Amino acid sequence: MSSLDVQDFIQQNRAVAEQVETYRGYWESDKHWEPRREFILRNLNDFEDSQLDHLLSLSMVWANNVFLGCRYSTELLEKVKEMAEGIVVEDAPVFKTRDEIVKKQQGR
Amino acid sequence: MGVPAFFRWLSRKYPSIIVHCVEEKGKECNGVRIPVDTTKPNPNEVEFDNLYLDMNGIIHPCTHPEDKPAPKNEDEMMVAIFEYIDRLFNIVRPRRVLYMAIDGVAPRAKMNQQRSRRFRASKEGVELVEEKSRVREEVIQKGGYLPPEEIKERFDSNCITPGTEFMDNLAQCLRYYVAERLTNDPGWKNIVVFLSDASVPGEGEHKIMDFIRRQRAQPNHDPNTHHCLCGADADLIMLGLATHEPNFTIIREEFKPNKPRPCGLCGQTGHEIKACQGMPREKQGQHDEFANTMPAAEQEFIFIRLCVLREYLARELTMASLPFPFDFERSVDDWVFMCFFVGNDFLPHLPSLEIREGAIDRLVKIYKDVVHKTGGYLTHNGYVNLERVEMIMQAVGVAEDNIFKKRKEDQENFNRRNKEKRKRMKAEQQGPAYLTTGQFAPHALGRRDRPEAVQNARHQACDMRMQSNMNAAQSLKAMMKNGGNSSAGPSDGDSRGVKRKADDSDSEPEPEDNVRLWEEGWKQRYYKNKFDVDATDEDFRRKVVQSYVEGLCWVLRYYYQGCASWKWYFPFHYAPFASDFKDIKDMFSDFEKNTKPFKPLEQLMGVFPAASGNFLPPTWRNLMSSPDSPIIDFYPDDFAIDLNGKKYAWQGVALLPFVDERRLRAALADVYPDLTPEEKRRNSLGSDVLFLGKSHPLFDFIHELYRTESNEGTEIPAELCHGIQGRLNLDDDPILPDNTVRSPVPMLRDVSQNTAIGVKFKDPPYPDGFVFKAVLLPGAKIPSKVLKPEDWVRGNGQPWRPQLGFNPNRQQAHLDQSGFRALGHNLNRSQHSGGQYSNTPPPSSYNQGSYRPSHSGGHQSFQHSRQNSLMGAPPSFHQPQFPSQQQQYRGGGHGWDRAMQTQQSAYQQNWNRGGGSGPGGYQQQQQQQQQQQHYDHRRDDWHDRRDNRGQHHQGYSSGRGYPHPPPSRRYNWN
Repeated sequence: MSSLDVQDFIQQNRAVAEQVETYRGYWESDKHWEPRREFILRNLNDFEDSQLDHLLSLSMVWANNVFLGCRYSTELLEKVKEMAEGIVVEDAPVFKTRDEIVKKQQGR
Repeated sequence: MGVPAFFRWLSRKYPSIIVHCVEEKGKECNGVRIPVDTTKPNPNEVEFDNLYLDMNGIIHPCTHPEDKPAPKNEDEMMVAIFEYIDRLFNIVRPRRVLYMAIDGVAPRAKMNQQRSRRFRASKEGVELVEEKSRVREEVIQKGGYLPPEEIKERFDSNCITPGTEFMDNLAQCLRYYVAERLTNDPGWKNIVVFLSDASVPGEGEHKIMDFIRRQRAQPNHDPNTHHCLCGADADLIMLGLATHEPNFTIIREEFKPNKPRPCGLCGQTGHEIKACQGMPREKQGQHDEFANTMPAAEQEFIFIRLCVLREYLARELTMASLPFPFDFERSVDDWVFMCFFVGNDFLPHLPSLEIREGAIDRLVKIYKDVVHKTGGYLTHNGYVNLERVEMIMQAVGVAEDNIFKKRKEDQENFNRRNKEKRKRMKAEQQGPAYLTTGQFAPHALGRRDRPEAVQNARHQACDMRMQSNMNAAQSLKAMMKNGGNSSAGPSDGDSRGVKRKADDSDSEPEPEDNVRLWEEGWKQRYYKNKFDVDATDEDFRRKVVQSYVEGLCWVLRYYYQGCASWKWYFPFHYAPFASDFKDIKDMFSDFEKNTKPFKPLEQLMGVFPAASGNFLPPTWRNLMSSPDSPIIDFYPDDFAIDLNGKKYAWQGVALLPFVDERRLRAALADVYPDLTPEEKRRNSLGSDVLFLGKSHPLFDFIHELYRTESNEGTEIPAELCHGIQGRLNLDDDPILPDNTVRSPVPMLRDVSQNTAIGVKFKDPPYPDGFVFKAVLLPGAKIPSKVLKPEDWVRGNGQPWRPQLGFNPNRQQAHLDQSGFRALGHNLNRSQHSGGQYSNTPPPSSYNQGSYRPSHSGGHQSFQHSRQNSLMGAPPSFHQPQFPSQQQQYRGGGHGWDRAMQTQQSAYQQNWNRGGGSGPGGYQQQQQQQQQQQHYDHRRDDWHDRRDNRGQHHQGYSSGRGYPHPPPSRRYNWN
């Protein structure tokens, strides 16, 4: 599903799209929200309604990792990366995690 | 407020707000502690009515102290907390109310900060343990000595969060403590104790504010109640000002920067863990008898007098020729509001406003410039006038560009100076390149051993020459052995690497800064780097500004009216620029009504990292770690830190994801059934509890309530309790007279003859939409002025005497005749003792040896009795014991003063050296023999350095024969 496909999908499934739009965090810029929306839409069919929160959680794990610099367990990160395959994020920010900073400072 | 710099700034700018506490210490006699009688007048020469304790400021230092060994277990922690409260009680001696407030569940707005603190604390704890064991191994391998590792579970400070077992135990312990003191301590006889534990929602200091606000809005409140609030947070100052109570004092530990901290491994001071060498500990005292005493003096307390701060602010804020009448109380509220721009717990501070750069002064200046245009105040009773705030913000915005440029300049200057300083220090350390040796070696001046005549000078000179030749040859050999590493000079390859490294650390690597606020285009770069949005994204920027505007309204309301919304929070990690506050007038209308706080365990789920999951039930904990959890995204293992121009990880901004409340609640709904009854109880809302002893007028009333089992709420009759109002409800598990109160701490005794009673208490209710007025109450008397009047001119008739304590009419100290005689005697003796030391100022230096009191005790036989009484006996100026007298000695205009002060400081020193028990204490508690020991030891100790000691002794006995000096000599030495 490319971003064009996403547009198509949204055109065709107004109700779903509106539903998904409510999951947007207040702090999310377009640049952050659009890829996450794509993440949700891509995987929506694999989750039942009762598991929706789990999907949202995974989408946040992925977005937090990409846009906020958070690290999760390898297992989890691999899973979300797989789910996000094909989503193009241009110009993702670069972060230093706390562990990296502390390690560097101890090394001195 | 998370701004430690704020208090420093305030106390430097307004020094007279600080008054040092006078603390009467308990004495010990034959190993029995004699408690201080707190029914006596307060030695600070002021009487307080109400003492409020923001308990979290007490719990933290008592459970994981930074300057002394940590308590071994929870019981010791509880005892430490009790002792701390006792200390405060003794200093403040409240006469009506003691209010203890522990942080309960906080508003959502605080959650981001709490999360970030706890995620960090958890990581820091693990790192500390790792570092300790790593260094321990290293040290032991190198043959160093370290005390064996104590077997104790690591105390996770994260358990100081409402809803944990620890907090529940603490509440139990405090109930016991209160009952015990109300029953047994005469000082507590007539006071009402309120305990608001962690089960009552709200931050501690804000629960206290709610109490004060709701009391003063009812007609029976005494407008001249003297409040004393304990806590180190700078926002207590704001809160105190916001009450508009004229008598409001804050008590906190004295702020001492750079206090030496003991190493976590060997317990010695002077190095950090990573530099620990495992050196044997130096003996403390001849037989190591001081081993377990703290080297540092006990932390002392200071008062911060808000009425004096109000005087200062009146000077600063008063404006003439306003287009509207000037109201000082309103301008104080505006000042408090502007301080929020600089930092608070709920919003990140504006990038252009740094307290260290005089941000508050700048704001006040702008405020006074702009107020003519705004046509009124910025705030009213905690409600913000956004139109006017925008004018202030725009004025700050105009300066923003220059602020950033200046900041860069200052930083560069600072770095340059630092570098030069380091260079200088290094040069000083190195010393000269060549030193003569042997009999030509340099000698310090003034040493006892006089230089002898030079013998055989030529031979010595030859020796020195040979020596340096040999050194050169040796280093040449070493160099060739190391493979001609010639450039490194006479050292091996290893040290070369070390040297290079040391050089590098000299020029401290600058933290990376991609924003470069001092360069053109800073705003774009800031938004790009911090928010990852393009400068063109106007909508996003408006969103940030709107949230910030809401935040300012929320915070001010929180301080003046109480929590407006438990749900609101600032959903970004950074603040916008002041210049972005455009058209903000309509950005905010009101907050969502009737929001509810989280339950304690829910909040724990919101603020804890997965590593602290042990404080939660298993199925709840599982939600923090299972990859299939629907809220797993809240719990990253590691997170990014933006140093944001700072140097260390703990100073930076932790980029943690925000908690989605809906998803959190939904996930918890599934695991709620798993709670045990005990956990359910811990998760429920509690109530404030009121306690009092049997001689309190309200006692019979409450006792009657229990007897009649009246189950509906009953109002307190105002006349029985100093006009305090509120609703009483029977406690389910009450503390009742004649019921034994079991001690939850094994080392403390049960209260078998309990006479205290406890009952649930609820603050007086007010209708929805009630606005608490931020005004002085009618009948409130403003305390007399402390600051020097601005129109005071030297030589204008009236002499000006600065006020040092609370009492404006403090008695000045005077010496009677015998005192002057004694003083003159002292002076006279040393002046005649002759020799090169005769010009040493005697009284102060003479007393420096800590043996003084024991001296008089142990060697009475050869002492003149008058001297004995002069030097040894009067403990009245041994600082801690009779503070009121000591205070009297301060502050007078006499030259005598200075002598007393130096003497005091000398005593202070002894006191520290003696390891905490004052010299007066020695006399009383220790066996004579021991004294003798100390004395001997001390004397040895002092002998080398001050060998005038002996001369003094001589002068001492011979001096007796001299006639008393003429009175005119009294001030000779001054």
